[in-house]
Amino acid sequence: MVQVTVDKDLEDLVPGFVANRQRDIEKVEALLAKGDFDGIRVIGHSMKGSGGGYGFQFITEVGAGLERAANGRNADLIRSALSELREYLAQVEIVYR
Amino acid sequence: MGTNDTSTPYRVLIVDDDSDMVALLSTWLKGSGFSVITASSGDEALTRLGMSRPHCVLTDLYMEGMDGMTLLSRIHANNPLMPVIMLSGQAGIPEAMKAMHLGIAAFLTKPVEKETLLSNVSRALRLSSDIAEARPKFGGGIIYRSTAMAELLEKAELLADSDITVFISGQTGTGKEVLAKAIHEASPRRDKPFIGVNCGAIPEQLLESELFGHERGAFTGAMNRHEGLLQAANGGTLFLDEIGDMPLGLQVKLLRVLQDFEVRPVGSTRSVPVNVRVISATHQDLAEAVKRGDFREDLYYRLNVVPLHMPSLAERREDIPALLDFFLDRIAQKRNAKKKRFAPDALEYLLAAPWPGNVRQLMNVVELCTTLIKTDIIPLSMAKSALREEPTGIHTLKVAKDAFERNYLIGVLRITNGHVANAARIAGRNRTEFYKLLAQHHLNAADFRKGGTLDTDGPEPTDIDAAENSADEQRDV
Repeated sequence: MVQVTVDKDLEDLVPGFVANRQRDIEKVEALLAKGDFDGIRVIGHSMKGSGGGYGFQFITEVGAGLERAANGRNADLIRSALSELREYLAQVEIVYR
Repeated sequence: MGTNDTSTPYRVLIVDDDSDMVALLSTWLKGSGFSVITASSGDEALTRLGMSRPHCVLTDLYMEGMDGMTLLSRIHANNPLMPVIMLSGQAGIPEAMKAMHLGIAAFLTKPVEKETLLSNVSRALRLSSDIAEARPKFGGGIIYRSTAMAELLEKAELLADSDITVFISGQTGTGKEVLAKAIHEASPRRDKPFIGVNCGAIPEQLLESELFGHERGAFTGAMNRHEGLLQAANGGTLFLDEIGDMPLGLQVKLLRVLQDFEVRPVGSTRSVPVNVRVISATHQDLAEAVKRGDFREDLYYRLNVVPLHMPSLAERREDIPALLDFFLDRIAQKRNAKKKRFAPDALEYLLAAPWPGNVRQLMNVVELCTTLIKTDIIPLSMAKSALREEPTGIHTLKVAKDAFERNYLIGVLRITNGHVANAARIAGRNRTEFYKLLAQHHLNAADFRKGGTLDTDGPEPTDIDAAENSADEQRDV
């Protein structure tokens, strides 16, 4: 279990944010199947920019990794980043303060 | 934090194509009392801007369609004072610097922290008390009562905080350099150099070397490496006066500096990064010069991000009594003498005068009157005569040629460190002729050599120095 402390003001937003990351996993998988690395780079960039602000620094790091991997058109690294994100989202426990 | 005196919330327009980011920023801003408007693209932002009239814009840099930089230009084309804060996940330093010079209030890197965002929004809206307390009165030495000047200074003060590129138009003698200096002194760059250059007073080759610097041996006579004013002004402000007189060849080079923030000295293969705010000015109609093909259009738009216009003295006549009083007072202090004053009819006459030479002319008239009159009251006859006598900045051709020649000689002697043979070669004269010219202008080549009575940075004043000196003397407009 990974515990993350999030600002209480964001309590209403966080479930939607996390759900969007689940959707991102599906989107990236679909884009990878089409070989659309540019689309993956955009999603990675977006995750990198918003994750830390919500309190999820790990999501920012995964996003940065996805962006880098997409720039390098490295499908293995992208799969690996997705797997890490999936595992993280399954384990994360959010505490609002 | 987000409300003003009338309890109307400050409106912030958030522009981002990432809905999670918009939701996050909205929550933070609303939680601090701001009112929020959102747009998911640059186009939508421009529509919202017209409808909702926000006080500040917070935009992402990389967006589908119109990017943040284009949006910034579009916003400032209609509203140059709108504070725009840019957010980016991956901007490099040149990109951030470019945005700063295009007038953004702040450049923030994602992921951004709540406190960083809120403090920058407050700062952009000038709500932070720390800024207000630390700042001395803008343009403290500028004498004015007119609404025209009050409005101009209010606008200039708002621009001072950012690195936005400012262009000052106005007649000769209105105090364009004084305004540029006031902007510099109110900016975060105030502790770094302010360097003024009169682009019209220096021949092309010398201007290139003065601005961009040169390597040793870059051209005949370049005995030593010269840093150049762009590098000398690093961290500070470079004031390019009479930019309309800059030769086209140098305009391209200056444009490159403003685009890349790098300068390549003459004869060097290496570019050096520079961080300089450029303020330019001219008495010419630069838009006309662009039409005539005398000035590059791309450079014009790069320099003219925010235009400021210095009113002529005739357009601010209500300032004349205060200006006269100020100069009379200053002269009295300088001469340690009793302060003189103008007779009522003299004052009336001066108030109605055309003043083609503007504040500089007025300063000279006061100087002339106080020197020539021994009594405490300056009569109308003296005011009339001083105004007739005082040249309005247009000299005879001979005087203008002499001044140019002298400045030219000083320039080549500086570059060659007083080496007469090299200086003569640059000037296209033989040594004998060159010595004759030096004698005519009472110049001594030895004064320009290392260890001479004058160091190479400080011989007789060139027009560059003269421009600075005149601005120092004219500490009021």
